[in-house]
Amino acid sequence: MAWFSTQMNETSCGTPWLAVRRDLGPRRSSFLTFLSFFGPVAVWCLVSYCPFIWHPDIKLQFAANREDVNTTFSAGDRVSRDYFPEFQAAVRNQNEAVRKRGEAGESFTSRENKKILRQVVPIALANGWISGDQEKDDAVIYDLWRALGTGEKVSDRPVLTAENLAIARENWDAMKSVSSVYDPANYPSKPFLQMIPQGVGSNPDFLPAPHEVLIMGWKEFQRQTDPNQPSMTERLFHSVRIVFLGFFIACLIALPLGVLCGTYELFSKLFEPFTDFFRYMPAPAFSTLLVALFAANDAPKVSLVVLGTLFQMVLVISKTTRLLDVSLLEAAQTLGANQRQLVTRVVIPGTMPNLYNDLRILLGWAWTWLVIAELIGVKSGLTELIETQGRWRNFDRVFPVIILIGLLGFFTDQVLSWLHRYLFPYAEGNQNRKPGLVGRIIRFLGSLADDRLPPEAGIRSTGPLPRAHSTVSATEKPIP
Amino acid sequence: MTSSHPTVSLPDYREQEPAVAERFRKLKERPVVLRVRGLGKSFASPEGRVTALEGLNFDVHRREFLCVIGQSGCGKSTLIRILSGLEQPTSGELLLDGKAVHGPGPDRGMVFQSYTLFPWLSVKENVMFGPKMAGRTGPSVESEARQWIEMVGLSDFENAYPFQLSGGMKQRVAIARALANQPRILLMDEPFGALDAQTRAQMQDYLLQIWKNIDVTILFITHDLDEAVYLADRILVLKAKPGRIDEIIEVPVPRPRSLDQSILPAYLATKKRISEMIHPREQHHKEMLHIPRLTVAGDEIE
Repeated sequence: MAWFSTQMNETSCGTPWLAVRRDLGPRRSSFLTFLSFFGPVAVWCLVSYCPFIWHPDIKLQFAANREDVNTTFSAGDRVSRDYFPEFQAAVRNQNEAVRKRGEAGESFTSRENKKILRQVVPIALANGWISGDQEKDDAVIYDLWRALGTGEKVSDRPVLTAENLAIARENWDAMKSVSSVYDPANYPSKPFLQMIPQGVGSNPDFLPAPHEVLIMGWKEFQRQTDPNQPSMTERLFHSVRIVFLGFFIACLIALPLGVLCGTYELFSKLFEPFTDFFRYMPAPAFSTLLVALFAANDAPKVSLVVLGTLFQMVLVISKTTRLLDVSLLEAAQTLGANQRQLVTRVVIPGTMPNLYNDLRILLGWAWTWLVIAELIGVKSGLTELIETQGRWRNFDRVFPVIILIGLLGFFTDQVLSWLHRYLFPYAEGNQNRKPGLVGRIIRFLGSLADDRLPPEAGIRSTGPLPRAHSTVSATEKPIP
Repeated sequence: MTSSHPTVSLPDYREQEPAVAERFRKLKERPVVLRVRGLGKSFASPEGRVTALEGLNFDVHRREFLCVIGQSGCGKSTLIRILSGLEQPTSGELLLDGKAVHGPGPDRGMVFQSYTLFPWLSVKENVMFGPKMAGRTGPSVESEARQWIEMVGLSDFENAYPFQLSGGMKQRVAIARALANQPRILLMDEPFGALDAQTRAQMQDYLLQIWKNIDVTILFITHDLDEAVYLADRILVLKAKPGRIDEIIEVPVPRPRSLDQSILPAYLATKKRISEMIHPREQHHKEMLHIPRLTVAGDEIE
């Protein structure tokens, strides 16, 4: 019955992948969650590591000087794929001309020749042959050419082309004929040749590869910056502080106001129209005003976050508060709740799970104001790094910061969403989840808080419960 | 009888056995808990003023079970909302134990058709809500609440949240919650209307048991004839447009009630009488729908 068993499997596997508003099951859900992150990262990797997909530029491993143009390139610069062969051809032509001049008996000054020989420095640095402080040491450079020319040293990165190895030998022959070691008094004057520039395919600088970003991000946290500059960690805390402080102040104002607006028509009509108008005015438009008001420290930055979130928050909270089922309020009234109790015992606890979710979304809003806020007045925090490094086109230093902000926001939200489950186990969406240890601890703390109410607050003398005829008067026979 | 079906001749619904008559005599001797005098309610609407209720006069005696029945739109719900204080009458007065009442209060408990348990409170906390609103705290409130929960048979669920309960259980909690305030009268607005037939029958039994053992007066709104006859001492039949009292029927079915009584002549006579009042004969002709014939098979189904 193979036919039958496949049928069974298909049904037990559940719904098709595309089914209108149907659950896919936990395994498929986790797989898709994984995919939703893996997908974009995979695309980034593909574009970065598969040269045939994009790589419109050539990243120079070492460059050469062109006499006929003003632009100079150095190792690490990017040139377009179209320009690179032209660049190489120009250097070849230049070499031809130099060779002819040499044959004609022309000579170069030692300064000119030293400059040409420095071409080898990026290669030596990449191979780890010399350290950074030796890059202007002409004796070391002289020796490097000897090593290359004699084949004593072979460059792995980049692997030199046969053409360039020939040039190295040709140069060394010319050098050797004068002196086999560096001698400032006896420096070769025969015009040297330049090696033809080499490079690898690369994406533009605004799209660094994942590993570059990771390494740079790691270094950024390790780096001991100069004492006048805040460290990465300090910047991070500074930014987080601005967002959370702004959000917290906005909550302090908006929560009571929103709940009042959602509860009482009076407050709703008094505050909501203006709030509705004000929220359309872009918060950054007030930045100069805020600086004038609060001077140039953190205050204007925090107040921009407040300004950007507060008005939305009032409206969202009042709307959520209004969603509370009116029949709950009516039930509470028939149970003897007074006006104040209606608010404190029904409206607030009843809307709390939804308010909490609103605040989660609004915290996301607060994050989006961070960069603009930090640009106000004196640039600070993570944004300062983005701004300055971005201007120098060090995008491999910009990306880690942008990703960091994203991760921070995302994980804050995940933690808050996870807490929602424990704080409001009865709320829609949480109902089928079991409260874990944390949930039980929170409930326990909640019950403690409840018992802290003043114990003597108007205790009414309580007789035994009127059970089984006890309060039916003796003369009145209980109804059978 | 113009019907061609075989019929049985039913007694007059006003005939009462001596025991039943004696019960009603005693009932009317009990003090009046709720007195309604000249109660009326009208609304402003785009078509002018609409009168929902007009000139209602009735008394509910202590420990009486009064059902209010009427066709939809007769103002049943408006009446109970006025009695509970959630709406204000435009005329007349409402006396509870001889004192006029305005606005909602814990002396009139209410059970709604929609489950109005507070979803963020456990069963026990829901039941404790009323006493807490009255400023009571401490262990006595909790132990009382436990007793009420035990009474509705939900002791195993005292820490459950409402979402974990079935519809019938929710209404039992709602009844316990209303009773925990020890109200003078329990107002019930079609409380079992959303339940399936089996659960509803079970709930009716629970309610009669509770009523038998607790000193409480019940005013119960329903549109279900059987429910009214099964539960009530007296049935107040409302007439629509404007809502007025058609008749207050004394149910001649003896207590204790059981489902077997539904074939007693007295039961059937009462039901027939109410049915005639709610669906008058002149309205009773069958409305024919203009349906084109779309079938050839099964011509003989009727």
